Amino acid sequence: MSETLEQIGELLQKGNMPEVVRLCGVAIEEESSASEILDALLGGMSIIGGKFKRNEVFVPEVLIAARAMNGGLEVIKPLLLEEGVESIGKMLIGTVKGDLHDIGKNLVGMMMTGAGFEVIDLGVDVSAEKFIEAIEEHNAEIICMSALLTTTMVNMKGIIEALEEKGIRNNVKVMIGGAPITDQFAKEIGADMYAPDAATAAEEAKKLIA
Amino acid sequence: MTGKERVLMTLNHKMADRVPWVPFAGVHAASLIGKNATEALTDGDVLFDSLMEVKKLYAPDGMPVIFDLQIEAEILGCELLWADKGPPSVASHPLEDTTKLPCDCTQPAPDKGRLPMVTDVMKRMSAEVGEDTALYGLICGPFTLASHLRGNNLFMDMILNEEYVNSLMEFTTTTALKMIDMYIDAGMDVIAVVDPLVSQISPEHFESMCHESFKTIFDYIKAKGKASSFFVCGNATRQIEVMCKTDPDSISIDENVVMKDAKEITDKYNITIGGNIPLTTLMLHGTQQENMKFVVNMIDELSNDNLIIAPGCDMPFNVPAENTIGVAQAVRETDKVRTMVENYEAPKEDIYVELPDYDNLDKPLVEVFTLDSATCAACTYMMGAMNVAGDEYGKKIELVEYKFTEKENIARCVKMGVTNLPCVYINGKLQWSSIIPSKEELFKVIDGLL
Repeated sequence: MSETLEQIGELLQKGNMPEVVRLCGVAIEEESSASEILDALLGGMSIIGGKFKRNEVFVPEVLIAARAMNGGLEVIKPLLLEEGVESIGKMLIGTVKGDLHDIGKNLVGMMMTGAGFEVIDLGVDVSAEKFIEAIEEHNAEIICMSALLTTTMVNMKGIIEALEEKGIRNNVKVMIGGAPITDQFAKEIGADMYAPDAATAAEEAKKLIA
Repeated sequence: MTGKERVLMTLNHKMADRVPWVPFAGVHAASLIGKNATEALTDGDVLFDSLMEVKKLYAPDGMPVIFDLQIEAEILGCELLWADKGPPSVASHPLEDTTKLPCDCTQPAPDKGRLPMVTDVMKRMSAEVGEDTALYGLICGPFTLASHLRGNNLFMDMILNEEYVNSLMEFTTTTALKMIDMYIDAGMDVIAVVDPLVSQISPEHFESMCHESFKTIFDYIKAKGKASSFFVCGNATRQIEVMCKTDPDSISIDENVVMKDAKEITDKYNITIGGNIPLTTLMLHGTQQENMKFVVNMIDELSNDNLIIAPGCDMPFNVPAENTIGVAQAVRETDKVRTMVENYEAPKEDIYVELPDYDNLDKPLVEVFTLDSATCAACTYMMGAMNVAGDEYGKKIELVEYKFTEKENIARCVKMGVTNLPCVYINGKLQWSSIIPSKEELFKVIDGLL
């Protein structure tokens, strides 16, 4: 890996967006391929994810690193298209109906982007109908649902039932997470995967579509 | 010793006669009287009645009057989304798109938002139970309040615009001090500063941008002669030490932190620690036996000085009352409950219990199963209610109490499949569990069988 690419990864971890953006331009001039630069960006984000999981960094550090990653991704986007580099999969993410908490959902979205997914964020208070519409519109392979409250986590079940009724349950993998969620709850409601933190969610998502 | 003395003594780092018990029955309190969360958080009479039910059923040493971190945010202009079974959520952040500070004129005052209702209930509770129960006034912590106002941008500001965060924290600290004045005037004994989001930032960020605010708040409470607590939620393992450095009298944690490890740190600073009964897996979804066992283990495992037994945070709305009753009994009568749990888990096979022939009874049979009607408050009320029927119907019915303190009675419970106490079986069928029926309801059922 070139010195510039290494620096991109390191500066991303420090959340230095202006420098990451500048160095992505330098790397292009040095004739690194878009996929090489992408790997440098995602590699940096993956290290941040690991540190977050181990309680070594916290929400502000992850958000600022993700901002740097997104800055870099914008620079190389046209080249990725030119080179025909595709995302590893398409996913929808949202906090379920009745729940407005979005920090956890946002962190998972960022880690998923960092893992190479195309992430479509449906926001908070997302109904079953909205999930279904979006699955059909985007042809997503995975849906991720978040809930922070014991009173809204039950709505995840309703969404899975709606997918079944619509006959599209087998077309998508369902991942769930949030403070009150457990592996047992995921099994009870028929979700495919529960992840306790954002970094694990990204790792498991890759396995789900492998 | 009253519950209030017990709590205040423990917060003053002296050993009380036993570990105090402080159930955080916020919205859950409403469920005990058949009301929803919004009703309890907006209607003073509903809130008061639900709190009196908590006092009656759970025999707390200390209790919060209202558990709603959105009271300040609502006054400061955040819109709220109300829910039937939970506190409201903040739906809009007035400072989301600006790094201005709110006008000082927006700060809470006694006539703003829900404060007239809240302080009125505080005064009524203080008059009604304040003699023997430590009342907790809960305020929204300055960091979480800053996030209510600014939204998630606050996290980025911590790295990109530290100066703004400091100014905003100064504003929210002023809010906290105003709330403290009002709540202490309304009779609160303990001020709890509830700041769940502290677990989401690094200890370094806490020290550089939050320490000053919290230290100011806890010093202020101390200067006013009241006790303080610092509530946090989530995995705050790495933040406990910096929280201690802000000098609260106590810290309260949830199940994401290992109590034993956290207590080693709080003990070093001579700070009392409260917690951390798991809210969802245990209080909401566990059995009464599991709840009692958890608490007995906690009391056995931890040094009992500087310790308060409490749920991890605001109890979920639908927590079965019998689980909390079991917890209360485990704190109050730890030795007896330890034996009960042991006997329940390994019932003696040599104890033979013969169940009545329920299909061929001479008269209605009312069987009351209690943890111990002499010491468990909910059991006392349940037995008391049934004794009223005993007095009314005399020999027309048969009334019998089975206390869980006797091995034979545990064997009977196991044989009958009784899992939650107190409860009442009539003619072998479960009729009431934990919630005590009214006299009218009770007589109606018995009349139907005569």
